[in-house]
Amino acid sequence: MTAETAALVAPREAGRRISFGWLWSGALLVLLTFLVIYPVAMLVLGALTNTNPVVDGFGIYDLSLKNFITVLGNPNVHFALANSLIACGGGTLLAVIIGLTFSWVVVRTNTPCKRFIAAVSMIPLFVPPLVAAVAWSILASPKTGLLNTMIKWVGIDFRFDVYTMGGLIAIFGIYYAPYVYMFTASALRNMDPALEEAAEISGATPVRILFTVTFPLIAPAIISGMLLSFIVMLGIYGIPAVLGAPGDIPVLTTYIFKLTNWSPPLYSTAASVAIILMIVTGFLVFLQQKVVSGRSYITVAGKAFRPGVMNLGPWRYLTLSLAVIYLIVVVVLPTLALIVAAFRKFLFIRSVESLFDLKQYSLIHFERLFDNPLAVRSIWNTMEVGLITAVFGGILAFAIGYTVHRTNAAGRRSIDVISTLPVAIPGLVIGVAYLWAWIGLPGGLYGTIWILALAFIARFMPDTIKALSTSLLQIHKELEEASWICGKGLLGTIRTIVLPLARPGVIAAMTLLFILAIRELGSSLFLYTSNTMVMAVLLLDYYEGGNVGITSAFSLVQTLLLAVLIGIAHFLSRGGADTSVGRAG
Amino acid sequence: MANITRRQFTAGAAAAGAASFSITNAEAQNFGGNELIEAARKEGKFVYYTADFTEPEQEVIKAFNKRFPFVRVELVRAPGGQLITRIKTEAAAGKLSADAVNHSDRGLMQGIADLFQDYTPPNAKDYRDDVLVSPKLWPRSTLGWSIAYNTELEKNPPKSWMDLCKPEYGPKKIGQVIAPSGGTTWTRIMFERQVLGEDYWEKQAKTQPVLFPSGAPTSDAMVRGEISIAVVLYNIAYIKKRDGAPVEAIFPPEGVPLNYYAAGVAKTAANPNAAKLFLNWCMSDEGQAFQIKELGYLTALKKPPLNPPGWDPKVIKTWAPNFEQYVKLRDQWIEEWNKVYGYRQ
Repeated sequence: MTAETAALVAPREAGRRISFGWLWSGALLVLLTFLVIYPVAMLVLGALTNTNPVVDGFGIYDLSLKNFITVLGNPNVHFALANSLIACGGGTLLAVIIGLTFSWVVVRTNTPCKRFIAAVSMIPLFVPPLVAAVAWSILASPKTGLLNTMIKWVGIDFRFDVYTMGGLIAIFGIYYAPYVYMFTASALRNMDPALEEAAEISGATPVRILFTVTFPLIAPAIISGMLLSFIVMLGIYGIPAVLGAPGDIPVLTTYIFKLTNWSPPLYSTAASVAIILMIVTGFLVFLQQKVVSGRSYITVAGKAFRPGVMNLGPWRYLTLSLAVIYLIVVVVLPTLALIVAAFRKFLFIRSVESLFDLKQYSLIHFERLFDNPLAVRSIWNTMEVGLITAVFGGILAFAIGYTVHRTNAAGRRSIDVISTLPVAIPGLVIGVAYLWAWIGLPGGLYGTIWILALAFIARFMPDTIKALSTSLLQIHKELEEASWICGKGLLGTIRTIVLPLARPGVIAAMTLLFILAIRELGSSLFLYTSNTMVMAVLLLDYYEGGNVGITSAFSLVQTLLLAVLIGIAHFLSRGGADTSVGRAG
Repeated sequence: MANITRRQFTAGAAAAGAASFSITNAEAQNFGGNELIEAARKEGKFVYYTADFTEPEQEVIKAFNKRFPFVRVELVRAPGGQLITRIKTEAAAGKLSADAVNHSDRGLMQGIADLFQDYTPPNAKDYRDDVLVSPKLWPRSTLGWSIAYNTELEKNPPKSWMDLCKPEYGPKKIGQVIAPSGGTTWTRIMFERQVLGEDYWEKQAKTQPVLFPSGAPTSDAMVRGEISIAVVLYNIAYIKKRDGAPVEAIFPPEGVPLNYYAAGVAKTAANPNAAKLFLNWCMSDEGQAFQIKELGYLTALKKPPLNPPGWDPKVIKTWAPNFEQYVKLRDQWIEEWNKVYGYRQ
């Protein structure tokens, strides 16, 4: 091709690229409309019309703000909202302290057994909230908690009580720290140490460097992790349901659940409360974007480096013991509690001696569990729906993340905003919205695994995109530009440059999605049928049925399954992490 | 010995299943007749929506399958409010997958009675007329309220509803289910106000009971010792006691509020015969006796086939709400109850 013909072809090429851009954005927008806008519209309609849109038709003419006004003036809603903000705010603060500490320990110190600490830091992520809460209520209920029985036996005059705001904050904090860890560890691993080295040469102490250089540099990761953990906590039902109910600490999710659970159910009011929740979360998302925008956080460029590791000296054993204590609190104690409850005929433990009375133990709860054909079916269904969600959700999230952050495609702002919307809708209500939106569609989506998978993909899209975007944002544009200069097309560049560099992020995002889908309860509640029953719903059934034994037995089965799956995922993503270390070196 | 093939195994298993099914003509009549049984066998399964708890339902299904092993019951269990939404939404979209429904709130079921087909169990005339809200809906489950306690913790248990107002049973010793939790609890608090006195709630609330969202966690907390006394449905405490938990339950002398479920066969049922056979068995003397004996249910049969332990029909006064008042008074009274008990709705 001569220079002249190239000059003639270029505008045509550019024109084709622009029309492809429009087509691409259009396709994404149509998909997002189906997944997000349409169900949210049904929700808003439900909140405004005081009807079930599917049953009563679209009562457009009866639009009224009555529900909103009633809800806004209801002191109980104010109380639940305040509790939500306090519990999630406190929980987030604790999660940041724990998550950031462990990510720093793992990535930037010479603490021994770092792989072990890294694994420990992620473990709470696969504990379903309901399971964690049930385990902790067995451990630390004020009168008969196992911990309290123990310390009473030892003669210490102190009692744990998880049925308090402090208990709620502590459980939120320790179980949602991995969100902060996930974001900050990968940012710390991928950051350029030049500024830290400069500070060190200038005579700054390690602690000062940490707080004035390192943490500010990874601020977007900290804020993203913080925001995500706060938002996830805000939408969690299992923990406040188990721990908040006995202490009369209603939060927004338990309040919404109550509204949907009364007979007759008050969905319109629930939708109105949900819209308040959406507004709160929307404001937080806006705040986060305000903080992040206008600053450059590119820390991965086309240069090789390896962040420095701090020599902690003898203190490294303290950091190691912190991880061991965390492991005990998050995994060992709750698992022991579940084992006791699952194998013990009844959970009435008068004394420490009675705890070790083997006559009190049997396999009856497991026998009853597997006597129910739904139990095994729910396990298969859950795996299937988790896999579909992870694969398709991961691909969609990458497509959206790339379009928003790395291209100039038309409509990418709208794509960004729409794909962030589901973050603000609690699962319980999103389930109703999807039911209303999709049940009437031709093609028989309702009653299949796909309706659950689609709901999960839509519901967790913001989480997945956020997890992906952090790694996408860190890749300098110059790497892609270099690829284009060398003659690679867009898809070629994505395949050979972006995907390999973002691989740890992509795998982490898909793993996250898989785990979130497996644990998801709220949005499944309205979408499952007898054929598509999932584990989380059956677990809630058992919990609601008041049998702690079977609930614990099923929780143990779930925990074990998740542990195996996490092991596989960890193995896969470790390949990714190794690549990233190799790249850095 | 030669290995058997999978086909041989399946054929053998089917033969064994058929062999285990034997029923006389007279017995068949109790469950709807041979024709219905054959039709149900052909359908082979049905989808069953229920608001009752999974565990007792599983036991009922198991007992039904001992009689009729060829009908697979696909269970969907959801709390009352959610179940109604599911049914209404599915039905509106023309996709109601339930063949049979069993719901705790007769008021709500009456509102959707047109979704159900004409169905009468063979022993319909043996049932009390006053508890029927529609000729299509039948009281498959009947539950009664009781006072239960942990025998290890409560050496001087309350003996009547009025005892629950005594200061010695407070604070935080008694577990109560919140009034707005559903039709069953609404029945109880209506009884308390209409039978035990206008000021009963105030007196009882003074003992500072612990409030629970539903009966199951209340009974669980009692077994674990978080509370020592629980106002719960008799069947919840009964199953725990049956399985060996340190639990006892009594029917108070002032009266036992009863809640009758409403069960029916959907108009759009794909497997109406299997659904009818199941409900027929549940409604039969045999089915009701099983529920009373094994699961601590009561019955709406005029002549109960048997009574649960501690139930003396000559002494115990049952109480059922006036259905009109049940619908009319609900919102206002529940709001007042919430105020008295300091429950935030």
